[in-house]
Amino acid sequence: MIGAILDRLRSARGMRRARLEAFGAIVHLAWPRSLVFVDRVMARRVTRVAGEPAIWQGSEPAVGERVLSAPLEAHLQITNRCGAGCQGCYTGASPDGAPGEWGLAEWKRALDELAAAGVFHVALGGGESASVPWLGELADHARARGIVPNLTTSGLEGLDALVAIAGRFGQINVSLDGLGPTYAAVRGFDGFARADEAIRRLRAVKREVGINVVVTRHNFAELPELFAYAKQRRLSEVELLRFKPSGRGAAAYRDLRCTDEQHRAFLPTVLAATKRHRVRVKVDCSYTPMLAHHSPDRALLAELAVYGCTGGDFLVGAKADGRLTACSFMASPPERPRVTELRSYWERSDAFGAFRTWRTAQEPCASCDYHELCRGGCKVVSAHVTGDASAPDPECPRVQAHRPRVHLPVL
Amino acid sequence: MKRGRILAIKWGMNPNSSSLGVDVTFLLVGATALAMATPLIGALLRWRKAPVDPAK
Repeated sequence: MIGAILDRLRSARGMRRARLEAFGAIVHLAWPRSLVFVDRVMARRVTRVAGEPAIWQGSEPAVGERVLSAPLEAHLQITNRCGAGCQGCYTGASPDGAPGEWGLAEWKRALDELAAAGVFHVALGGGESASVPWLGELADHARARGIVPNLTTSGLEGLDALVAIAGRFGQINVSLDGLGPTYAAVRGFDGFARADEAIRRLRAVKREVGINVVVTRHNFAELPELFAYAKQRRLSEVELLRFKPSGRGAAAYRDLRCTDEQHRAFLPTVLAATKRHRVRVKVDCSYTPMLAHHSPDRALLAELAVYGCTGGDFLVGAKADGRLTACSFMASPPERPRVTELRSYWERSDAFGAFRTWRTAQEPCASCDYHELCRGGCKVVSAHVTGDASAPDPECPRVQAHRPRVHLPVL
Repeated sequence: MKRGRILAIKWGMNPNSSSLGVDVTFLLVGATALAMATPLIGALLRWRKAPVDPAK
């Protein structure tokens, strides 16, 4: 076993790279898979930095105090074609795709730009990204540029081709929002058997395969069974995603979003399931308010890089026509920059609007002990429910408790 | 001589193309387990210096 670990360490050694930041540096480790944030002193010891970098002039800020020099990862919607027709699809994908979708050449140029900016990972999605015939070539191009390509798939299309190229990706997750009939209740059609087949076939050729679960009021009670399923299929992780009112999901939001009680019970439910079934769990950035509700150790959250909305900072998205976004759920900024213009747009003082002005928060966020981490919760939900992306996340338990009570008139 | 500090570790890779996923498994075991893992990561970092992206 020790020999195997040493082999993995040796093979991962050459895949190490680092990026300087105002606080120090971020080092990408291929094994164990991680991005390690270090201060300036340690950055000098563990990276090949020479002299006094310009980015280190001035005081040394804390992580999160300033916008990063570039995103950690970019979410590329390489197509909006998909025949599944899920009722809650956040991109509104269709068999025809989106107008002006980019092809391989354009996405290669996008990867060149992301690599030049210092981006570590890309997450390729859609639509159904596995149906794209040049997916493997794009993954190879990312690797050649030092970027790790990761992938989400429904498992409903393009499976044979994907299995053949699965090894080129860092992590592949299959979207699975429920077992058996619950899958149909969430997605609007019965696709569980096909998704399950995709999971089994991908896991047969690759260790780093997991499931993405969009948590809704219909599958919340089934979360423990989903963890048991992941354990049974020997999957590497379960990633839990909050339902967002975007694309067709905007119309389905009221029917599918979790209740306030479910949000309050989210963290203990998830930790109990991961403890029982010994499967690693990831949660998406929009769940930070639901974590903070249980008052976890703030220092521990910061050490685990648990942040709320980091769109336009830790992450960016790109639509199928290359338009840059702060996160995949949002529209492109008014200037309509392309992802191939990332570096120039990134430096603008007004870049990404409300995503970078979270410090000027309304109550109850302004006085919240977790605001520096949470950053006001999910702006997609705020924009949909309140019409203001900078408003406090209306599904946050603290925000729910803060809402003025409406008293009925006494007759 | 100052040794420097690891400020944060973001575990794993995020395949989800819609939002940023973070591994919260450590919330189960608390800060102690993370404190045990951090020196090991530090040793790995020092094992071989990483090249720095030239853009910075």
